[in-house]
Amino acid sequence: MWKILKIAQREYLDVVKTKTFILSILMTPAIIGVVIFFSSRTQRSVTGPHPPRKVVVADLTNQMTDDIKDSFEQHNKSHPQRQILLQELLTDTGSDKPIKQKVRDGQLNAYFVLDKDSIEGTGKIQSFTRSTKIIDLELISNVEDLLNSAIFNRRCKLKEVSQELLAQISELRRQVLNEIIDIGSASEQKRINKGEQIAKTMASFFFMFMMFMGIFGMGQHMLTSVIEEKNSRVIEVLLSAVSPFELMAGKILGLAGISLTVMSLWSVAAIGTAYYGAAHWWKITLEFPMGILPYFVIYFILGFLLFSSILAGIGSICNTLKEAQSLMMPISFLFILPMLVWFNIAQHPDGSLARILSFLPPLTPIVMTLRLAVSQDISLLEVFASIIMLALFVPLVMWLAAKIFRTGVLMYGKRPGLREVLRWLKSA
Amino acid sequence: MDALVLENVSKSFGDVRAVDKLSVQVPAGSVYGFLGPNGAGKTTTIRMIMNIIRPDKGLIKIFDDGATTQNKARIGYMPEERGLYRKMKVGKVLAFFGAIKGLSASELNFRVPQWLQQVDLTGWANKKVEELSRGMHQKLQFAVTAINNPDLMILDEPFSGLDPVNQDLLKDIICRMRDEGKTILFSTHVMHEAERLCDFILLINKGKAVLDGRLDDIRSRYKSGAVSVELEGDTSFIRALPMVKTAETQGRRIEISLSEKADTQDLLKALVGRVRIKAFEVKIPSLHEIFVRLVGRPEQPVVSEVEPGRRGRDNVEDS
Repeated sequence: MWKILKIAQREYLDVVKTKTFILSILMTPAIIGVVIFFSSRTQRSVTGPHPPRKVVVADLTNQMTDDIKDSFEQHNKSHPQRQILLQELLTDTGSDKPIKQKVRDGQLNAYFVLDKDSIEGTGKIQSFTRSTKIIDLELISNVEDLLNSAIFNRRCKLKEVSQELLAQISELRRQVLNEIIDIGSASEQKRINKGEQIAKTMASFFFMFMMFMGIFGMGQHMLTSVIEEKNSRVIEVLLSAVSPFELMAGKILGLAGISLTVMSLWSVAAIGTAYYGAAHWWKITLEFPMGILPYFVIYFILGFLLFSSILAGIGSICNTLKEAQSLMMPISFLFILPMLVWFNIAQHPDGSLARILSFLPPLTPIVMTLRLAVSQDISLLEVFASIIMLALFVPLVMWLAAKIFRTGVLMYGKRPGLREVLRWLKSA
Repeated sequence: MDALVLENVSKSFGDVRAVDKLSVQVPAGSVYGFLGPNGAGKTTTIRMIMNIIRPDKGLIKIFDDGATTQNKARIGYMPEERGLYRKMKVGKVLAFFGAIKGLSASELNFRVPQWLQQVDLTGWANKKVEELSRGMHQKLQFAVTAINNPDLMILDEPFSGLDPVNQDLLKDIICRMRDEGKTILFSTHVMHEAERLCDFILLINKGKAVLDGRLDDIRSRYKSGAVSVELEGDTSFIRALPMVKTAETQGRRIEISLSEKADTQDLLKALVGRVRIKAFEVKIPSLHEIFVRLVGRPEQPVVSEVEPGRRGRDNVEDS
């Protein structure tokens, strides 16, 4: 056991101490944090103060000067932080060349031309901008609204619609708010905010993703480590001191340690950011399904053992990383499969697809984590059945992998074919 | 007691017989050399001893009864192709291998600096392995092999790539370990290395033992009966001595060839008193000469004639 621990320790330090590892570990949550922070900043800047926009309008109907001016004034009064300055109000387009030039130069944000028959006919608004950035599109739609409300006012005046009637109509058009209530979980009724609903889905995705990264992320390290030892012939010195099984066990243990380190760092960072962000920026309360944590740990350990022993076996029969990666393809696909159908599973955690995938051992950890995170209705029986099934499958795979590892790790030259590997399994 | 016994061990790779019915006994406390040209089967034999590859036939016993796997802690193995973790620091590498060979932390604290000092790498303890030169890497590899003070050291080409100074350093350590009762088995294709170091040798060619036994015995068995003397006085009587077959004057020396069965000591006695002896050198055949004599003409059957008393069976099959 001491030897296994020593090998695990070396493996752990070998990876953890490299600068690239430290950078990638720190950078990933840092990048996520920065992205969330800036996305919240830009969101605030949408509602926050803007520098005033400058526009010019050409009213070819030549009868809405007051309406348009009123419209802009009202807007600027009710939106003090996003002023739209009507710099000039023309009545014809004869001399608008310098104005278009100003738009090109950036001195003006936009220039609008209202067609002659806009009030009674099918005239259009033409908007001239320099480049349609998102922020310009917002301005254009604002001005469009302003001009339309000016036209609406003009039309009302022409039809002699009274102000009282207008007020009544707008009162009649008032929308009814919708409120979603979750009565599924307990007697306690809970109002569901749309943001919280999204957050819940994201949390389940987060758990699944952590499981995926935790199991899968160390694969590359396992392959590199085995193949490097094989190529540098360290393996011969190692195996003169420890048994192949001890070596493999030590490697798996060391990498599991790295994986746990990464996951805990990321989880703390992600959950912390999410809670803080949810409370401060989106004004919602987050509820992580913390109850699944024990299951998460069990599934993680079993899944990690399964995947890393398969990789140790693969690494042992290959001489280059390239060879190993081509062999890994089908196995990777098996583990990635749940990621491809995660949305379906998240929507129907009790559906037959979710149920079937739960009992395919390589998929069990990821699928079950997702299901447990999404729904509280998964029966304990199903949970335990899947765990037992996985727990029976893992030692079998480890045993086979250890046999391949033992022979493969000391083989050089041509990669053995499937028949050769099967012969090893039979012989020892 | 034998530290290592091989009985009729054979190994083939495809059609090539790498090792053919090889039998060896390595007595405990000896330095045993596996000699032979490249491709003779030395490394294959060592790898079979280390259980890295399995023999097709035959038996390998370590410390009388055990298999290699049960005696890992007592064996130190240095493979032909050196490999250590390139990114690790020299001291850490030594400590790691010491630890997996079962040394406790307190033992490591003592032995790591001790071995670094022995192989003259004390100043390099905090450097990465990849910064070492080839020779230093090799000395470190040797320290890794010896760190747990194993009873049996198996070294595959330990001297290749070392300069003469470091070769001597390694030889001194090997001799000291032998004096402590350890058994050292090493392979080499350079005969004079073995000549200076070995108690026993095994000469392999094409997977078969050509010659096997105590080095002194082998030498006396293959002695050429040649003596080179430098004398003062009248030397004309020499040719007439009964044990002398031929005598030729070459400059100041006389090269004497003795008849078969004659003893060099008789010649010496015959000379003493009649002439003044300035030099008397019994020409010992070098291993190189013996080797060339035995395997230089590959068509001839090679017969083992060494120490029939010590060994009951044939070590070599007719080819």
